[in-house]
Amino acid sequence: MTIRLTINSKEIITEEGQTVLEAARQNGITIPTLCYHKDLSPVGSCRLCLVEVEKWRGLTAACTLAASDGMVVHTESPTIFEARKTVLDLLLLNYSDAGYGEFDGHDTEFKHWVKAYGASLPAGYKPQPKYPVDSDPNPFVWVDLNKCILCTRCVRACAEIQGRFVWGVGYRGHEAKIIAGEDTTMLEARCESCGACAAYCPTGALDHKLSVGAGTADRLVTTTCTYCGVGCQFDLNVKDDRVIRVTSNPDAPVNGMHLCVKGRYGFDFIHHPDRLLAPKVRRYLLEGGAKPPGDQRSPSSSRPIPWDWVEVSWETALDIAAQKLTRTRQTHGSDSIGVLTSAKCLNEENYLMNKFARQVVGTNNIDHCARL
Amino acid sequence: MPRQTYKPIDPQITALVEEHGSSSEAVLEVLTDLQELRGQLTPSAIADVARLLHIPAEKAYGIASFYSMLQIAGQEVGKQRLVRLCDGPVCWLCQGASTRQAVESALAGQQDWKIERTSCLGLCDRAPAALVDEIQVGPLHPEDALKLASGFAGQAVDYSRLRPGELRVMLAQAGQIDPDSIVSALTHGAYQALGSALARPAESVLREVEESGLTGRGGAGFPVGRKWRFVAQAQRAPKYIICNADESEPLIFKDRVLIDTNPHQLLEGMAIAGYATGAHEGFIYIRGEYASQAKRLELAIAQAEEAGWLGDNLQGTSFSFHIHVHRGAGAYICGEETALIESLEGKRGEPRNRPPYPPTAGYRGLPTLVNNVESFNAVPAILLNGAAWYRSLSSYPTPGTKIYMLLGHVNKPGLFEAPFGLTLRQVIEQFGEGMLPGSEFNLALTGGAAGTIVSSASLDIPIDYASASNGISLGAGAFFVCDQRVSPVALLRELLHFFTVESCGKCTPCRVGTQRSLEILDQLVARQGKPEDIKELQTLADVMQSASFCGLGQSVAVPIKSALSNFKPDFETAFSSIELDRKKR
Repeated sequence: MTIRLTINSKEIITEEGQTVLEAARQNGITIPTLCYHKDLSPVGSCRLCLVEVEKWRGLTAACTLAASDGMVVHTESPTIFEARKTVLDLLLLNYSDAGYGEFDGHDTEFKHWVKAYGASLPAGYKPQPKYPVDSDPNPFVWVDLNKCILCTRCVRACAEIQGRFVWGVGYRGHEAKIIAGEDTTMLEARCESCGACAAYCPTGALDHKLSVGAGTADRLVTTTCTYCGVGCQFDLNVKDDRVIRVTSNPDAPVNGMHLCVKGRYGFDFIHHPDRLLAPKVRRYLLEGGAKPPGDQRSPSSSRPIPWDWVEVSWETALDIAAQKLTRTRQTHGSDSIGVLTSAKCLNEENYLMNKFARQVVGTNNIDHCARL
Repeated sequence: MPRQTYKPIDPQITALVEEHGSSSEAVLEVLTDLQELRGQLTPSAIADVARLLHIPAEKAYGIASFYSMLQIAGQEVGKQRLVRLCDGPVCWLCQGASTRQAVESALAGQQDWKIERTSCLGLCDRAPAALVDEIQVGPLHPEDALKLASGFAGQAVDYSRLRPGELRVMLAQAGQIDPDSIVSALTHGAYQALGSALARPAESVLREVEESGLTGRGGAGFPVGRKWRFVAQAQRAPKYIICNADESEPLIFKDRVLIDTNPHQLLEGMAIAGYATGAHEGFIYIRGEYASQAKRLELAIAQAEEAGWLGDNLQGTSFSFHIHVHRGAGAYICGEETALIESLEGKRGEPRNRPPYPPTAGYRGLPTLVNNVESFNAVPAILLNGAAWYRSLSSYPTPGTKIYMLLGHVNKPGLFEAPFGLTLRQVIEQFGEGMLPGSEFNLALTGGAAGTIVSSASLDIPIDYASASNGISLGAGAFFVCDQRVSPVALLRELLHFFTVESCGKCTPCRVGTQRSLEILDQLVARQGKPEDIKELQTLADVMQSASFCGLGQSVAVPIKSALSNFKPDFETAFSSIELDRKKR
């Protein structure tokens, strides 16, 4: 059902079931938010998206307010500004930033709104850290609850996006804090280190451990993950031609903000010294000799040994592979050969490997790593 | 990296979970019973409960750490006797600090005893009060501390005698019936109203309650009949009746007295509500500290089922109604109706977004009526005597009678029943028999902890649900009268201590606003305040009132704002000497 409401004197037509926040955003009206995220169920707890509804008492959170026919909403007024600023002032009271992430790029959502509303601490007040910085041994997710504002986006991302239920809210009142499992470590609480919690965190309380302190990116490169066939997209954060961080790209068509541990954190191979950049073959294959006995693998000798890897051109490498495959098929038959393809290959490449196995080699022995 | 190793589930926990029907809604009861067996809850035991109930460990731990009566310990230290000493405002006024010292020294070095602070126990008429395991103790004066180990419980207050000017409807049977005997209750007219209701069409019962003008006695004063109508009109079924007996606001203890004097009156009121709205199941959510009242209700339910006034086919009619008692575990917030429903569903007691309101989507998402103990207690007399009679009880626009609680520096504190429209002066002079000798009226906290702090300027304003706009609130009906020795700044500090400890923590204004207000008031009480503190308190009150998620968070502003407007000079003299000097110059 279509409904008509008025936001800031502008008539807005939307569908029943939309919230005032959604209706406002669709019409280019900005309402500040922290606990709200479009991917997550709204909870209305941070109270930053306060708006006035005519004939209603007090202020109402726009993120949980169902738009209804004839509603008259104001999203900006001195009262609203003052209330939002006070909410941010209050959040600052318990926000202790040790400063390590200062040069890690754009402002967090929280810092953005703090600046926009000129929120500040009372004169002479210094927030005290209550928790150790980097308090969780998870190798990928950085935890600093001193920056937590209890928006619970991490809790909802873990439950609603990843379905792991690692994060929860423990304790009560001003002692409330985000807990993993029975207030244990993330991995004990069966975390898969997908990093969704850190991706959704608006304050940097949860961050990417590999990238904390890595600096600001010069450019973002949107690319497709090479790990599997799902085709997730994300942004490589590049600084001085090195990838320093992977961030979710909310517009990614397949995955949105969601990534797995490999896509989000497995980027160290890009610049790893062990990474193969050209084909390599064993020295004895180049020299045309037969396979030498295994005991000659010992690196004790200083002269070149037959088992060494030697970098060669693609032509040479493919020729050797083709010769060996042909010889094997002639000697032992087609079914002595098997083909295992990789999720890192494109669908087209996997298709070609299928043709290669069945039509060129003549075997049905073909499988794919994603099926294992 | 420490790896989780497989650990079989504790068989005692398995048995306990099965006993509670393996329902995730029972998590709070399972944890309470487990603590009863073991003394403490360990993270590993909580994880076992979670696995057996098929809920995530974080959820179970979140619940265990939310409720103040549940104790989490890294390791079990075994069962201990637990003394919970009340630090509510009335116990504070009644030298609760001396009692605390005396109890601490009496039990010093005794490993099998543990002392804890607790928010108001609802024993304000027995202050200074304590809870020893499940036994309500009070008054507990310092000289009685040594007797705790031998079962000292103090003395309950007898409310069987009427005060001059009292008009008793809900308390009519006080002292006349044995609350633990349905035979005694039946001879004094219990269940006659239910019997007469069952003989009428449900619609006519509903209309009688609507016409009586009965308003919700929890504090908000919402018309009871209208709420019943919403539930009756709701299309979905089953429907539920919930009695809010989570009475956890400091100064309020009427529900405890009502249950202790006549538990059947409450059950009867709930059954009538069920009949009028088409519900067949009811829950009494009672605060965990009221263990003896919970037991009394369970006994009354069993007796009423035996007598055919509860259970299947009441008195041979086609109407069935079952009532269950559900014990809370220490959380003021569960008095907020949606937080109560969350808690009843086995979750952290955090309020839900409204709308939808409970009559549309409440317990288990189904139409639910939530009323206060006192509201249900008012119903039987209305059905028996009619709406017109009920309206005639009061010459004031608000019909019927109300239970009032009077505390502090008056000659005769306690509890009484009277119509609406009393003035504070009447309450003190007529019902309280005046201020104590040597005491002069200085201030009163009216309503409850979330009520107004008023000066003598408000002594002659008639009080009802609408009088809050005149600066004096009725709330749940308490009057805490203080003499010249009590500073409004210190009293407000006690209240904010309560709200800070009891905030659920869901929304920013209440979670941080209460904490910050308490910090400021601590400074003011210590005479270390600054002129800007008053402005900051005002700003905090504004944001809590306009922007808190639930009614309880919003109401924290009421005592702050009233104290600031009625007692500004007291706040200004609480500045530090440097600031005072600066001000003089």
